[in-house]
Amino acid sequence: MALAVPVVTTAPADPPAGILISRQLAEREHLHAGDLVSLALDATGTGSRPFRVDGTYEPTPDPLRFTAKRIEARMHLPDLIAMTANPADPASAESLSAINVRLADPQDAVRFAAAVAARAPGIVVRPTTRARDGSDPFAVLERFHVAVAIVTVLGSTAFLLALMVMRAEERRETIGIIRLIGISQRSILIEVLVEGLLIATAGAAFGILLAVATQGAVNAFFQWRYDTALVFVRVTRSIALQSIAVSVPLGILAGLVGSWTLLRRDVLALVGR
Amino acid sequence: MTAWGLAWRTIARSPARSVLAVVGVTVIGALLFDMLLLSRGLLVSFHDLLEAQDFDLRIVAAEGSMVHRPPIADATSLVEAIARLPEVQRVTLVRTESAAAILPGGDRAGVRVGLVGTTAAGTGSIWTMISGASLPSVTDAGAPPPLVISTGLASELHLAPGSELQLRLFRPGAASAIPLVTARVIGVAQFTFEAADEYTVATTMEGFAAAEGTRGSGVAELVLVSSRNGAGPAAAAAISRLRPDVRTLSNDQVMEQFNQNAFSYFRQISTVLSSMTLAFAFLLIATLLTMSVNQRLGEVAALRALGFPRRRIAANLLWESVLLVGVGGLAALPVGGLLAIALDRILRQMPGVPVRLHFFVFEPRTIVLHAILLSVTGVLAALYPIWLATRLPIAATLRREILS
Repeated sequence: MALAVPVVTTAPADPPAGILISRQLAEREHLHAGDLVSLALDATGTGSRPFRVDGTYEPTPDPLRFTAKRIEARMHLPDLIAMTANPADPASAESLSAINVRLADPQDAVRFAAAVAARAPGIVVRPTTRARDGSDPFAVLERFHVAVAIVTVLGSTAFLLALMVMRAEERRETIGIIRLIGISQRSILIEVLVEGLLIATAGAAFGILLAVATQGAVNAFFQWRYDTALVFVRVTRSIALQSIAVSVPLGILAGLVGSWTLLRRDVLALVGR
Repeated sequence: MTAWGLAWRTIARSPARSVLAVVGVTVIGALLFDMLLLSRGLLVSFHDLLEAQDFDLRIVAAEGSMVHRPPIADATSLVEAIARLPEVQRVTLVRTESAAAILPGGDRAGVRVGLVGTTAAGTGSIWTMISGASLPSVTDAGAPPPLVISTGLASELHLAPGSELQLRLFRPGAASAIPLVTARVIGVAQFTFEAADEYTVATTMEGFAAAEGTRGSGVAELVLVSSRNGAGPAAAAAISRLRPDVRTLSNDQVMEQFNQNAFSYFRQISTVLSSMTLAFAFLLIATLLTMSVNQRLGEVAALRALGFPRRRIAANLLWESVLLVGVGGLAALPVGGLLAIALDRILRQMPGVPVRLHFFVFEPRTIVLHAILLSVTGVLAALYPIWLATRLPIAATLRREILS
């Protein structure tokens, strides 16, 4: 149904029914609570009826429709049926497009769906939970993001290794002198591991803090861009832990690999003799 | 020795470090290349799909769009009027609905399909024939509705031209089930906009009406028009004059609608990831070069003391950056190509995406843009180390080096 929303300038005879309009519609048409509007089935004004705006609402964010402009109104079901029912088809006054059901036990969803489908042919019953059969677009997007994250980790690991190799070269003489005064290779290795652990942990913590600090800006940008209340980025505890679980071992490994050549090399070669 | 030669020797002196840096640039460059492909991939691919259809104008109800298509009343007479326009070469009606396709004697639930009713007889329009015949222009009275089915459905139900198939149309909002209609498969085709998780069945408008249990309502959701060469805008204007309650969209306008809505998420994602990738590459190249300069402060001071001008020191560092970014950027193209195939495969698993639509599409301009972005990043990343090296106090640095 298409709804036209011209402002009514003359007061109707009967008190008009109340409706709620979406924030986006209110902003676009500069409507406020108490305004009178007429809604019609199409732009030519078919089936036009007056309504009173009782308030505005923020549409429930829908990730599948976040690019759509939410120009919407909510009205009482009898009012909608009165507008849309076809007088030539008595069944149309009893027709609905969807019924939302909350089950006492959500585990009964499959059985309930089968029972309804058997009793009412032509009706499709769908659970509101995310499908696990590959038909969920968000599962696909998640796989895409994971793939991009893996590539990013690979790139950053290569850079990290390059930096660690440079750092090890920088400390070649220092390590040579430490080994000359009798510090064992095991102790140096432990020092490298602890240093790697500290740097990697600090880096991971900084990365998470940066993500937490910037998630608001990312959300604000996309919410402004698409005029929605949908949350696009959320740094959860699980994501933070995943980041630490990936970055800390990688950081330690990079430090270890970078220093390995120095530990294996002859001590005199390290000090340039 | 030239600045380039000196830069090459500096890089060759630390092969492990240089190889790792190039690998890093390669991976990051590949990701950047892919994000550039993604930024226009859907548009280019969708444009190719639209152009492959031979239709340049699409008509929907005035309050509709290409995604939401309310029925156009009295579409049959609209099509007749459009066909008489001198600017128009060919016009086709399209109606779609969901239906169950059931094998005679098989599972009563059948397979859910998208049923397309159309007047487009012949190939090169909404589908490409694989076997059998396309829909006839005229259907024999009393004959079972002819069907052209998609290759996926033919494979799923083991159908071939000549097979019988029963259809039950789903009527949204109706609390009744329409009786089964027995139809005959006359051809198997590839449908341009069919998704991997969907099956499509096309029939004539008479066949669609039979499945609907009516004699034809004259209603359609979409009218496809092929205008004569260069007469597209004139045809669109003439159609608007014929019926003000419809909306005529050119292929460019359809593209714009999808670009503004359906594709914008991927465009935004590619912009964000491209920016982050460039920032990442900048930080890492700048860090590598700065560390490299810090390690060679004595060497740089000695060169300056020997009479090397600042310009040559700067050129040396710039060449180092160019070598790292250039080699990595070149290697990023094949790596990015392979990565794009893998990422495209992931995204095309999304439900409802036409099989022939791609998210990552190669265009020559992408290589140019990739080269420009990486070059600018490489130059910017070299600025700080260049500043560091050229502003070095020669005497103090040499003294510090000797003491240490």
